[in-house]
Amino acid sequence: MQQTEPPAGGQPDIAYPRWRSRILSIFGLLALLVVVITFATSIGSVDLPFSATLQVLVSQIPGIDVMPEAVGDMRIDDVETIVVDIRLPRVLLAGLVGAALALAGATYQGLFRNPLADPYLIGVSQGAALGAVIGFLIPVGSAAIGVGLVPMLAFVGALFSVTIVYLLARVGRAVPVTTLILAGVALGALLGAIGAYLTVTNEEIVYGIIYWLSGSFSLSKWDEVWVVLPIVGVGSVIILLFSRLLNIMQLDEEQAQQLGINVERLKLILLATATLITAAAVSFVGIIGFVGIITPHAVRLIWGADYRFLLPLSLLSGAIFLILADIVARTVASPSEIPIGIITALCGAPFFLYLLRRRAKTLF
Amino acid sequence: MKKVGLLLLSLLLSVSVLIIPAAGCMVEPETETLTKTDIRTITSTEIITETITETITETVSQFLVIDDLGREVAVPAEAMRIVSLAPSNTEILFALGLEDRVYGVTEWCDYPPEAMSKEKVGGYADVDLEKIIAINPDLILAEDLHKAEVIPALEDLGYPVLALVPHNMQEVIDSITMVGMLTGTSDTAEQITDDMSQRVQAVTDATAGLSQEDRLRVLYVVWHDPVMSVGSDTRIHELIEIAGGTNIAEIGGEGYPTLSLEEIISLNPQVIIVNTEDYEGGDASLQAILNEERLSNVDAMVNGQVYGINADLTNRPTPRIVDGLELMAQMIHPELFGAVQ
Repeated sequence: MQQTEPPAGGQPDIAYPRWRSRILSIFGLLALLVVVITFATSIGSVDLPFSATLQVLVSQIPGIDVMPEAVGDMRIDDVETIVVDIRLPRVLLAGLVGAALALAGATYQGLFRNPLADPYLIGVSQGAALGAVIGFLIPVGSAAIGVGLVPMLAFVGALFSVTIVYLLARVGRAVPVTTLILAGVALGALLGAIGAYLTVTNEEIVYGIIYWLSGSFSLSKWDEVWVVLPIVGVGSVIILLFSRLLNIMQLDEEQAQQLGINVERLKLILLATATLITAAAVSFVGIIGFVGIITPHAVRLIWGADYRFLLPLSLLSGAIFLILADIVARTVASPSEIPIGIITALCGAPFFLYLLRRRAKTLF
Repeated sequence: MKKVGLLLLSLLLSVSVLIIPAAGCMVEPETETLTKTDIRTITSTEIITETITETITETVSQFLVIDDLGREVAVPAEAMRIVSLAPSNTEILFALGLEDRVYGVTEWCDYPPEAMSKEKVGGYADVDLEKIIAINPDLILAEDLHKAEVIPALEDLGYPVLALVPHNMQEVIDSITMVGMLTGTSDTAEQITDDMSQRVQAVTDATAGLSQEDRLRVLYVVWHDPVMSVGSDTRIHELIEIAGGTNIAEIGGEGYPTLSLEEIISLNPQVIIVNTEDYEGGDASLQAILNEERLSNVDAMVNGQVYGINADLTNRPTPRIVDGLELMAQMIHPELFGAVQ
């Protein structure tokens, strides 16, 4: 990565920050992410002093024990449970989901070369929702099955849906992008209708389903983090490895093919991985919109469209954004929680519009 | 509507309904008191004395009722074709011995079991208008969630719709009395309400002397993901208080507030009561709470004071709500009411 090499992709009129600042931005966001995680862990419906939270967090590192003596009239055990078993997994899960959705969104936008692409374009959300509905209908105590029947079936549903879409759209060995989108929209509608039908004819699950669909991090626990982390982690690494090729994909597919890239294989790998991390994200927390489509655009507006930077910056920005949104979701109407999808839309849209006005020329 | 009102007025005048000073006499039109008393307007909270009850049901052909939604409804006395749009109303009708006069119920009306053999005219909040028209009821009992669309639709079709929306125990009792009066089953209604009142009084008396500390902190769980509890204006809140407990969710205000796990830990309930349903898997909420490790340090979990309760007993404004109250009293104060079986 030499400094004199110009970034791939178009060179618009506006002067983008140069290489060095982009790399610095990545580290900057990483540091910001750590700060935001710490900050988020100190906020909740129970008032705990920041210093106490910090002490508890630091004490989790093996070998260090700086646990506070007393916190008001609460038992230290309870304080630790709150900080480490309730808030921390929730914050981490929010970060993972935000990262996954933003990264998947950026990848889809790159794959489809379409600014309106989001992680739910080809039926992931409807497949996951149908899986969740089936999970709610099966009368097994969900506590009995590890992390739960509903997330498992939602995950399966999401993957199943995209697989069908891919197979439907395939022509020989190629998968035309337009066909993929159309098949995705159609199958998504079908699965969505089936899910809705099952919900309406089984009114006792309506309540649970509505809550699941609107997306929420309440009751997030470590078990879920341990499932989501490896999937999103490995998936992200794979996608990031292909970021340079994604740049070249922004040219016509034919041109990219002529440049020696196995376009179909690349599409399959990126599609599969992006879908995988999206499925992992929505299976536990429901469908959270906006993050996947807006974050990459915001990153593009600030830092440019070079996928080698767009992907990691989207990942980090998505994580930070969703953690902050979750803080708002659980504090604004305390002790009630606002579904996080509402927050992401309310906060994300104006911010994006502002960015849009400032850099109107450089949308895509 | 004014014409209908005048029609009613003249109808009533011609039937010569009024308050008879001495019970059991033949009804004679008393011209002096006619204009003042020939139309009885009743609200569910104005249930009055025995004598009036007796005389009215013998001679009145119609009541002008103000229901719990503040609507004025002309209800025929002794309705013979009754439709119920809510499980609670169905329970009340059957308890009053009116099964032969019930022609329509909802899919969710499962108590008593005999109710399930009646024609289904609706689901949770929706109704099948065609079926109702086919039945041609002379009285429909609805509830609060029908007020937006269902009740106006039924009114347009010309059916008398009465909405029962009791907010507390006394109003539940009053609504039973009112239905009894309107359908000519006041004797049965009185038996039921007397029994209910006595049993409620027994619980109230037993818990009257409890100090604030003895009024255990109770968490009533309506749903587990997120944890939803009952606000200060709900009937269940009142049940908790009568049973000698304090509802920890009242800080959440009115309605059905959601509580975060943190909140629950810091409020440290001593008794947790969870809604369960009869069908397979209906104890999901109870299982979820019992298996929630992060709550394991809470007093209720430590002392094994976590109970499931049949949601129909606490949620439905019917005679069985007293069963729910007594169960909850046993859960909160086994030392006063005996342990739960």
